[in-house]
Amino acid sequence: MQIMHLIRHHLFALSVAVLLFLPTIAGAQSWENLTPVQREALAPLSKEWNTLQIQQQQRLINLAKRYPQLDAVQKQRLHNRLEKWSKLTPEQRNRAREKFQAFSKAPLEKREQVKQMVRQQEAEKLSIPAANPALTNTP
Amino acid sequence: MKKNELNHENIKQLLNHSVAQLERPTLTRLRHAREQAMARYATRRAEPVFARAGHAIWHAFGAQHKSRLWATTLLVAIILFSATAYWNHIAKSDTADVDIAILTGDLPIHFYVD
Repeated sequence: MQIMHLIRHHLFALSVAVLLFLPTIAGAQSWENLTPVQREALAPLSKEWNTLQIQQQQRLINLAKRYPQLDAVQKQRLHNRLEKWSKLTPEQRNRAREKFQAFSKAPLEKREQVKQMVRQQEAEKLSIPAANPALTNTP
Repeated sequence: MKKNELNHENIKQLLNHSVAQLERPTLTRLRHAREQAMARYATRRAEPVFARAGHAIWHAFGAQHKSRLWATTLLVAIILFSATAYWNHIAKSDTADVDIAILTGDLPIHFYVD
């Protein structure tokens, strides 16, 4: 009977609270609570981290899990691009993902042509030789 | 027959008359019981909205122990289902593979952004 009394008084309130705050319980993390690896991976976002939406924080944390497997050039690119990426609207990021997936399905030869073309454009902008991989470190 | 029937006023008079005849200790006990009842009523009124909603739902399922047990089971099932659905949604919306490819790939971000 005591259990029934407890359920009657508190279970409903507890259920509503759990359902309402499920996303918060699942994701909210302050910068200080991140692991050293996560902080290193997401370093360019250290200042605005606490202002990011919970869902975006969660996505970036998932992204940081891949950080240790990246080589030096990829890490550099990630750091160069993270800030711009975080400033995009969710719709822009979704559109970028769609475009990336569509581009990934194109034939390899076509993709290489496009990459070469973009490298040349970037090189012209920066006046750096196109063969240098660092040129693609632009955001 | 009608003469024998008691109306509100008669009952009130009878009660007042009865109270007047009660002994002091009995009156004190009655007053104490009334104060306690009023205090319980006030506490119930001050319950938070969620607790009151809980009571309303609780009573909607009737007074039987079995049906209330079912209600509780149903509530727990809803919570578990919602939590599972939420975690599945999070798992599905995990775009880390694509995001890391965009952020570390050969092509700059603006190539993919309109």
